Amino acid sequence: MPVTYIRSLEKQLELQLKGFFLTMQEFFLFSLRSFMAFPKAIRYWRDVLDQATICGTDSIPIVLVSAISIGALLAIEVGNLLEDFGAKTMLGRSTALSVIRELGPLLMGLMLSARFGSRNGAELGAMQISEQIDALRAFGTDPIAKLVMPRLVAALIMFLPLTALSDFAGLQSAAYMAEHYHRIDPGIFWNAVYPRLAPKDFVVGFLKAPVFAIIITLVSSFNGFSARGGTAGVGRSTIKGIVVSSGLVLIANFYVSKIVLENM
Amino acid sequence: MIELQNVSLKYGDKEILKKVSLTVKDNTIKAILGPSGVGKSTILKLMLGLIKPNGGKVLVDGTDITNMKESALYDIRRKMGMVFQGNALFDSLTISQNLGFFLRENMKLPEDEVNRRVTEQIQFAGLEGYEDQLPESLSGGMRRRVAIGRALIFKPHMILFDEPTAGLDPVSSKKILSLIASLRNNNNLGAVIVTHIIDDVFNVADSVAVLYQGEIIFDDVTEKLHESQHPFIRSILSDKILEL
Repeated sequence: MPVTYIRSLEKQLELQLKGFFLTMQEFFLFSLRSFMAFPKAIRYWRDVLDQATICGTDSIPIVLVSAISIGALLAIEVGNLLEDFGAKTMLGRSTALSVIRELGPLLMGLMLSARFGSRNGAELGAMQISEQIDALRAFGTDPIAKLVMPRLVAALIMFLPLTALSDFAGLQSAAYMAEHYHRIDPGIFWNAVYPRLAPKDFVVGFLKAPVFAIIITLVSSFNGFSARGGTAGVGRSTIKGIVVSSGLVLIANFYVSKIVLENM
Repeated sequence: MIELQNVSLKYGDKEILKKVSLTVKDNTIKAILGPSGVGKSTILKLMLGLIKPNGGKVLVDGTDITNMKESALYDIRRKMGMVFQGNALFDSLTISQNLGFFLRENMKLPEDEVNRRVTEQIQFAGLEGYEDQLPESLSGGMRRRVAIGRALIFKPHMILFDEPTAGLDPVSSKKILSLIASLRNNNNLGAVIVTHIIDDVFNVADSVAVLYQGEIIFDDVTEKLHESQHPFIRSILSDKILEL
């Protein structure tokens, strides 16, 4: 009996592994085709603009809300901690490093994973189950060039200014809390920010934007294209897209910081 | 002309098609009849190269498309129009935009010509006054007519219908069937109709292939279907609708 049970477990594991590697292979080919469709960005410039509006302009409120709240919270908490050591004047430096290197891009990535990624997954998933993607192929249009490439190009373009906006809003809210909560003079706060920021701090932060753009767009679009099983299937693929892309954003955030900080 | 030569297809361990061979000649209407879920729609997707068979060959106008690259298939697919079972209309586009979508997308026609062809299809499908409506605001029969118009607009040689009357009321079904018959009579178009409704076959098809348990058990002119002694065909001739 135990032997049969172990064999059935082995079989299940083998099937799961096969499924995983097959999905990875499909994802790799899907990503490759998305990048190879880049020359068609000129032909589909209207779609690129539409997607830039969706992932860029329309995402400004959520990016601002998250950046302002985390900047303010960071200033309060770090300020309290620094006060214990009599180093409140270092608040500007510590919040600037945290926001520019880590929290600004990370929050923007997570927010866009939820907003832009879920939209991609749901929209493309609904198109998949209603055979609209098959219709594109049947009538001679490459669905990856028409639907995925514009999203990828738009995300690559728009995530950079959104990161800058997230950093700016986070720092401004931190400065506001430093002045009104911790009674730190704005001159002291900003003087601890600007002269001490090194190029590598910006490289770490801004390199994350294109990495997150690629992860979020490709993962959510791939899951949308893979949707099966009616409306419930669209829900499942959308959730999977958000969970996987958010997880990958967190992992990529760590590795980009580690690699850049160790090598610059 | 479309030919399937000994085509086999598996999904996992399940064998969907077992060495299926059939030919669809130009300017004729061929029906593929069979119960739901037997792989009829899969045959249409194989003809378009949307899926690859595990064995055998698919030929379109003599060209083997079985292992053709996706980019090379686009030119082949433009020879055929496809009407999907759920219509597959783009729900964010108006009826006019749906009709003109692939002309603007794939054929470098002047805008005047695109508009002329769109108007022609609107009239052909009897959808005057609905040009600026979204698909969701139309009835099932009207949406099906838009889907047919979209397939016809770039003047294909062959048109593939996936369950063209499924889910429609009898009046709409009749309209769709007469529309399909008029294509062959007026436009010299070939067509493949996948259906599980036997009356549709007798109404429009010149020939019929019956798919049962992954195999073609009958392939001849429609009139000869009555002569078949195959138990499954005898049963469907008495039941008429194949909800088996």
